[in-house]
Amino acid sequence: MEKSIESIWKEGFLKNDALVAPKLNNLYNQKSTHIIDKYKRMFKINLIAVVAGSFLFLGVSFILGIPVMGIGFFLILNVIVLVNKKLLPGLQKIDKNVSSYQYLKTFDAWMKENISVNSKMAGYYYPLFFLSFILGFWFSNNSQNLFNEILGYPHEFYLVYGIPVFWTIPVIFITGLLAIFGGRIYNWDLNIVYGRVLKKLEELIADMEELRS
Amino acid sequence: MSSDFYTSSILPFSAIIIKICRAYTNTQEDFEDYYQEVCLQIWKTRDNFREQSEWSTWIYRLSLNVCLTLLKKNKNNKQYFASDSLPEEVVEDSHAFADESLNQLYDAIRQLSEIDRAVILLYLEEKTYQEIADIIGTNPNNIGVRIKRIKERLKKLLTQKKILHGKVN
Repeated sequence: MEKSIESIWKEGFLKNDALVAPKLNNLYNQKSTHIIDKYKRMFKINLIAVVAGSFLFLGVSFILGIPVMGIGFFLILNVIVLVNKKLLPGLQKIDKNVSSYQYLKTFDAWMKENISVNSKMAGYYYPLFFLSFILGFWFSNNSQNLFNEILGYPHEFYLVYGIPVFWTIPVIFITGLLAIFGGRIYNWDLNIVYGRVLKKLEELIADMEELRS
Repeated sequence: MSSDFYTSSILPFSAIIIKICRAYTNTQEDFEDYYQEVCLQIWKTRDNFREQSEWSTWIYRLSLNVCLTLLKKNKNNKQYFASDSLPEEVVEDSHAFADESLNQLYDAIRQLSEIDRAVILLYLEEKTYQEIADIIGTNPNNIGVRIKRIKERLKKLLTQKKILHGKVN
């Protein structure tokens, strides 16, 4: 008996039960698994969580006597939220009524823009987080006691024109490193979370481009 | 989603959605999720339909776009794409259709890459090379070559499984 792929397809679907549509259950409440919808949801949740976290941290910082750190973190986090919020409409505008190639390319372009913006920002916000952290302790109500506790013995700051030189040098050094490698740290972090999805997107697009060439 | 819209605009074309979703899912549960998701996306984006193409073409396009970008979570909450190597217990949808040959053909189609699946599904649905190229967004000149390659791969897969009783054309 000879059977082509085409005839298997045609004959298989002639049987009545082959194409019974499943019932739509609780469609409104069903959690969407679509990447773009998933991103939109995750994005919104992340932004809300960051804003809530920044307010919480601000309050806690005042209670702990490290308000400079709290204010610093609060400002940085909210700038990150504002920038990312501006990127969100681009994701929402992605039209599904285009060819698969265009659709994936648009999504990929949005992802790349998002990564690029956040990667550039990371070069600023990682050092600023670190500086807020250090300055938070420096201007805390009981910084001397804190340092003594951290070091485990009484420590006197050696000041040159009021600046603790031996502490400032490593702080500047680490801040510099974070400024230089902030983007890479962000990308590394991103790869852990979204690496597989991004790689798969690249593969899909590469496969389509091969077909287009 | 209003049941009117579903009954009048989606249900008559459900065969398209079913055929595509089956090719991108490995379990009945996933299939139903994908089907629902495609229906939901058709409903959500219905105002974008500009009547520049047939409604059925639009459904093909949207179904493929949704399936190509769907992620599923397995029992261990790990994310994977439809084409990833799946754990044995997940590959259980080998009897979705009454016709055994069709089940075996779908098993073979699921082993293709996402794009090859889209190409062969549209080909089997008797879409022209131009239509396939328009839906996927590729060059029609390469579609023929790609289809030939996919068919050879499918034949090999089907033969390997000894599922055809006779020669595969």
